[in-house]
Amino acid sequence: MSGKIRWSGAVLGILGLALVLVVHWQVFYWVSTERTMGVVQRIFYIHVPAAWVAFMAFGIVAVCSAVYLWLEDERLDMAALAAAEGGMLFTSIVLLTGPLWGRVAWGTWWTWEPRLTLTLLLFFIYLGYFLVRSSTENSERGKRFAAVVGIVGALEIPLIHVSVQFFRSLHPEPVVMTPEGPSLPGDMLTTLFTGLAAFTLLFLAFFLFRYGLERMKRALAHRQLAGDGVPLPEGVSS
Amino acid sequence: MEYLRQMGALIWKDVVIELRTRERIAAMGGFTVLVGVLFNYAIDPTVVEPQAIASALIWMTIVFGGMLGLGRTFHLEEEEGAFQGILLSPIPRDALYLGKVVANFILLTAVTILVFGVFTLFFGIQLGGHPLALVGVVLLGILGFVAIGTLFSAMSARTSMGESLLPILVFPLLIPVVIYGVTATSRLFQGLPVSEVDGNIRMLGAFAVVALAVGAGLFRFVVEE
Repeated sequence: MSGKIRWSGAVLGILGLALVLVVHWQVFYWVSTERTMGVVQRIFYIHVPAAWVAFMAFGIVAVCSAVYLWLEDERLDMAALAAAEGGMLFTSIVLLTGPLWGRVAWGTWWTWEPRLTLTLLLFFIYLGYFLVRSSTENSERGKRFAAVVGIVGALEIPLIHVSVQFFRSLHPEPVVMTPEGPSLPGDMLTTLFTGLAAFTLLFLAFFLFRYGLERMKRALAHRQLAGDGVPLPEGVSS
Repeated sequence: MEYLRQMGALIWKDVVIELRTRERIAAMGGFTVLVGVLFNYAIDPTVVEPQAIASALIWMTIVFGGMLGLGRTFHLEEEEGAFQGILLSPIPRDALYLGKVVANFILLTAVTILVFGVFTLFFGIQLGGHPLALVGVVLLGILGFVAIGTLFSAMSARTSMGESLLPILVFPLLIPVVIYGVTATSRLFQGLPVSEVDGNIRMLGAFAVVALAVGAGLFRFVVEE
């Protein structure tokens, strides 16, 4: 891993972790309790930032994939892969924290609320993304397949979003969340933004580390394949 | 014109092969009828009226039966390097994709007719009073389905997971077809006026257009080495 990537990854990671601690302090001791939902609403500050990062990661995957198919630059494929792994992680956080919140706020573990459904589908698109990669013997082919999945997924997401919203209108929610937006009180907004910053920084750190790791793996595979007498790093057997 | 002629040749090839071997149509047709039989025993008519869930049953049978055939779209070509031959011929990749889509569409239309026949026969389902709108909904829906399915079946056929990968890739993207297709079909079955399904038909059309455009654009990245 080149020094630059490692250092920026470490700095972003430490900053992100520090902010994760700050946001937990804010969530548990500082921010005021929401009136209707009570204490459980505090999961919001973990849940929403994770969702934001998951969707941002998906955007990065789609853009890198599209440009990869065009320029066939290896680095773009590595970036898409790194972003997809980070995205998968944060999508899982959203899907784990969502039901916990929903159980108390809506009285049910799962509901076909559009954003919930969309996140679940996003998770499966990511799953397909990794499966096509891992199940192709020819790695160049796998990279192209994954890129196609990433692009098609991103192009279909708006249509899926519209359709799950249409579906919801047939089944109105018994308890509808109050719309926040600018009406969110100051301390809640601050906590939310701390969470957003923390998760974005952590995602970027994961992204950089994963990118650097992938680059090392590919360089290693390349050397092994070339067999040009370049010594392997210590502790690595072919 | 040349483009259409090339597409036509590919469609003709697939249709003739299917008519002679009857492999996929037999598998899909058999599946359809047997699913109807299974549903008959799975549904207790004293608890749930088949008419009430008819559109869901019909669409799910079309989707699952369709996956069975779509997964084998490129099966023949994968044997003995036949696909290399097609790739070497001077046919644009998108014409190849669209040809495959049309061939699959014809196949799935035949299966869909069978699905409707089987379900009206087995469950006595009333199809409502707007046959044209119903045909429009169903054809647009399966066109979108086939457009997505053909692209990903070319992909899954060339992975070690094969057809088992196809549902994971296709089902998340198929949500719009299922939502708009099922609700529109259900409304038509209830005898509601066509204006009630206007929006659905437009969305199914939009989905089909997007899926076809995306598939035609990206197909070459899936088949080329």
